[in-house]
Amino acid sequence: MVNRNIIMRILMLALFMLLNACSTVSPWEKGYLAKPQMALNPYPLQSNVQAHIYGSREAGAHINVGGGGGGCGCY
Amino acid sequence: MMLKQQIIAITLLISHTLVVNAQALNSSSPSCILTSTQLQKFPVDLKQFSGQVIYIDFWASWCPPCAKSFPFLNQMHHRFQTQGLTVIGVNLDESFSDAKNFLEHYPADFMLATDDSKQCAKDFAVAAMPSSYLIDRQGMVRYAHVGFRAIDKPSLQAEIESLLAEPIVVN
Amino acid sequence: MAATKKPKINNALQALTSAALILPGLVPTTTLADTEEPQSYFQYSHYEEDKRDLINISSDRAPLSVDTFQLGSGFNISDRIHFGFNVVQDTWSGATPVSTAPLAINSNTPILKNSDNGVVIVGASPLLVGQVLLDQSLMPLTLSEGTQTPVKDNRLVHILSSASPETRQQADFNLAYQWNEAELILNGGLSLENDYKSHFGGISGRWDLNQKATSLKTSLNYTHSNIAAIIDHDAAPYLTKTAYKSQIELREGSEILHGTRQDWAASWGINQLINKKAFVEANLSYTHSSGYLSNPYKATTVIFVDPNAFDNNQTINGNVQALLEQRPNSRNQWAISANYVQYIDMSDAALHVNYQFSHDDWGLESHTFAAKWVQPLGQGWSISPRIRYYSQGSASFYQPYLVSVQNFRQSQVDATGREIWVDVSNPNNGVEYFRDDFFNLVDNAGNLVDESTLNVRNKTETFDATKLPKYFSSDHRLSGYGVLSGGITLDKQFTKGISLQAGFEYYSHAGNLKLGGGGESSFADFDYYVANAALSVDLDAAAQTLSSHQHHNKQGKHHAMPTGLRFAHMLTQADSWMFGYSFMHSQRQGLMKQGSKSVSDEAVVQQDCGTDLCRFTQSDMTMGMHMLNIMYAPTDWLNIMLMPQFVSMSMNLRELEGRPAARADVHEHSGVGGHTTGGVGDTVVAALLQLWQGSGQQVHAGLGLSAPTGAVDLEFRRIARADGGLVHFGMQLGSGTWDFLPSLTYTGVHNDYSWGAQVNATVRMQAQNKSGYRLGNRVETTAWLSYQMLSWLSTSVRGIYSAEEAISGDFNAFNGRIGPIDYPNNYGGQFWDIGLGLSTQMPHGELAGNRLSFEWLQPLHTDFNGAQLQRDGALVVSWRYMF
Repeated sequence: MVNRNIIMRILMLALFMLLNACSTVSPWEKGYLAKPQMALNPYPLQSNVQAHIYGSREAGAHINVGGGGGGCGCY
Repeated sequence: MMLKQQIIAITLLISHTLVVNAQALNSSSPSCILTSTQLQKFPVDLKQFSGQVIYIDFWASWCPPCAKSFPFLNQMHHRFQTQGLTVIGVNLDESFSDAKNFLEHYPADFMLATDDSKQCAKDFAVAAMPSSYLIDRQGMVRYAHVGFRAIDKPSLQAEIESLLAEPIVVN
Repeated sequence: MAATKKPKINNALQALTSAALILPGLVPTTTLADTEEPQSYFQYSHYEEDKRDLINISSDRAPLSVDTFQLGSGFNISDRIHFGFNVVQDTWSGATPVSTAPLAINSNTPILKNSDNGVVIVGASPLLVGQVLLDQSLMPLTLSEGTQTPVKDNRLVHILSSASPETRQQADFNLAYQWNEAELILNGGLSLENDYKSHFGGISGRWDLNQKATSLKTSLNYTHSNIAAIIDHDAAPYLTKTAYKSQIELREGSEILHGTRQDWAASWGINQLINKKAFVEANLSYTHSSGYLSNPYKATTVIFVDPNAFDNNQTINGNVQALLEQRPNSRNQWAISANYVQYIDMSDAALHVNYQFSHDDWGLESHTFAAKWVQPLGQGWSISPRIRYYSQGSASFYQPYLVSVQNFRQSQVDATGREIWVDVSNPNNGVEYFRDDFFNLVDNAGNLVDESTLNVRNKTETFDATKLPKYFSSDHRLSGYGVLSGGITLDKQFTKGISLQAGFEYYSHAGNLKLGGGGESSFADFDYYVANAALSVDLDAAAQTLSSHQHHNKQGKHHAMPTGLRFAHMLTQADSWMFGYSFMHSQRQGLMKQGSKSVSDEAVVQQDCGTDLCRFTQSDMTMGMHMLNIMYAPTDWLNIMLMPQFVSMSMNLRELEGRPAARADVHEHSGVGGHTTGGVGDTVVAALLQLWQGSGQQVHAGLGLSAPTGAVDLEFRRIARADGGLVHFGMQLGSGTWDFLPSLTYTGVHNDYSWGAQVNATVRMQAQNKSGYRLGNRVETTAWLSYQMLSWLSTSVRGIYSAEEAISGDFNAFNGRIGPIDYPNNYGGQFWDIGLGLSTQMPHGELAGNRLSFEWLQPLHTDFNGAQLQRDGALVVSWRYMF
């Protein structure tokens, strides 16, 4: 229980520090991140085909979490 | 005990995300002076438009909603220019050639300026692209908008009209 | 003093609080295409494996290949609501491993044929059961070529079996609501195959923090699948299925294995910007699967050895059997992944690096390393090479084959060691018989029994399943191996948001590529390639040109024509585009007709199979055709168009009443399940030329060419040693010939009415296709009237007369000749139909430029050539976007 408590605290602190440390990109500095080549998944149609085939040919689990982050950060 | 700590930690996390406080409404507009002469002939000082309603819009070439907002900014400029509206599009691109290229596709009839030092954007606490602010004739920031969506158009126009209708008060 | 107004609540804050509400448990995501940009897309891909190595025999079977097409579209219903749909169709055919066995068993036996050069091996036929020699340590032995002495042979080989074409169809949707700093997405869909039906749904969310420098993502997905696998009719007698007895249903001579499975998948992810030129993404996912997780088409070879065979120091005879594989009925998988994306200043490129690790309670662990480089080349071009390495350890229950020291089946004896005999017709009634010293049948009390009234056999007991491992599979996908693959993608962005993309990937699976060694031996190695081509239209970019042209409003009334028409609609504004998709579904079911009248089965048997007698006919037939239509107007009087087509067909057969007995040399269809075909159909290119234009009226000509891209040499799989032969004429995918498609169209419009007429023809320009026949020429005339009821809704009615010749020539290769569908005279005829249509279009708003139309084609009168299955009508659904 104590251990869990400490781990929890460390995790929270680490996450907080991570968020702090990395929040150095101003909203107007996202020109590079907005470029199509910088998209998390630049060719979604093709990766869809690949994922389908890998899934049928390989037994390891495949994560396929899409969307979010990067990009222009526009509203 | 544990729960309390978690709550504190989560609150800290959330409050952290809100550190990005937008420009306080109903306070005096930051005194921006846009010195670059890449998009404008002369330095632009927001003070020079005192007595006017200012629609200041921060944009960049790589921002899709910015492109969507330009026709609307043009429209507002043409419709309300004579009633005392000044539309200023402040470009925040890192490279001027990107902005120039963008303007070839999305021409602007309103006033354009460049914020080389990004000081004006920082003073306005621009939180996302595009961001726009409506400053009344007294120099007070009255409305702030992040992003641009078609659904925002009627309310933006109504806000402009209401600010234009307010009398000029000489201090 | 200015009246101070209460400041409006900041949008961002509002979004944040509502997003926080929906994310108390941090919701998990499977992939959903980017819901930010509305776009329509179409993609075709082709997957093909190389031939598996059967070591001492060359397989003549086509390796596994899969043709897939996918299309979909996303729309912004409002500023914050996005709706997207996606449709996928896969058709696959070819040979796959059903099991693995020691090479010494000779499971792939040669098929011999006489040829001019003597007897040659033309292929391999799979044998699931047999005998094998083993040494005292149970190592398989093979006889050496010269001296025929037994030598140890530890080589393994796959047992291959091929499949007739099979089709899978999938449809799914997603609905997203976007806040400024959050998104919530619902998705759902279904995937349908003859033997495997899945329904799935999920919810996912994203929450942006820190001015979008950080995003948290989470998703939860559920899939429910029903399996109803028809066990290969010809393999079934040789397969041991005792473990699944309660799940197997017997229907019309087929054995159907039923099962259900459920999959829950949850994921949690974070995206974090590192600086203005780099970001990382990390994910954790958990999947829980339960139910029937085995593959009903995979068997494990088990060599049963008599426990008494070890007594003498001789070789042992092993009894080779094939048992349906038995995987655990639950699986828990965990995976973590990390992506790193870095902008490269030097060349304006981006480097993507990915690592993934997965672990599950089947004892399987995998590592994936991948990298790609995305390089823009200017002028809208970009190129992206990529490389990937994957390695997995084997599942704890993976075994290429099993040896079990017990008899597969043996005579049962009673406590005193007497063999037990039972009545064949009722072996489990509890009545047991024995033999006395004179081999006379006696009952339990030793009284003689009249054997002439009974049909007795030894009471046998099969192997003791508890002596086998609880779980076993020899599916090589559960073995240890590594994969090295590499590929390249080329992308070109045109103006107006149109983009073309082509990709290629080569993939090499090998046991010795496994990380740290110890992978499966080389018998399981294989390679494949996959090539894909995609076209997409960014609807936002297209809409911007739309608003600047405003041309489609002018044409609006022209467009309300019946959607089943081809070549009838012309773009009359220079430099405008149309992107369309239509789907035609037709079904035929019920009675056979000869000419225009119903005909008895007996008459069909006698009359409609040339000089032979008919044996089978269709009980129903379904055809689906997906047609893509890309149209461009370089000038206002000329349009060019490209129409790729994709078809899927399925058919069920029934025996004709009064049919003759089966022929010895032909494998007859039997059991349940019909057959399906599908894939790329013929591709049409055409030009439309405006000939005359008056007030609201115009005449244009169409000159089309149909290229024979659809297959006409599809074959049924070979069963045992009997060739399946070519699939029926009507289920081949194209005409096989270059065809000329001329048309002449008149259209008129006045107020809310529009009308028109068209005559079009299909002229086959070659005497025969590569399978030796030629479809009949065809002519069609049609006239219509449509009425614009509301600004967004119109209706149409039209009449159609068409005539088509019978097929000329005949198959130049073996075909089963089972019924009217295999005889050229039973194709074509004269047809009278009426079409009723409905069409909607959005004149303004986010969906402007889109049109969705329906038309039902109802047969009024039919005069068939020969005997054919009656027609039941067809539905055409189409979507068009003009910009």
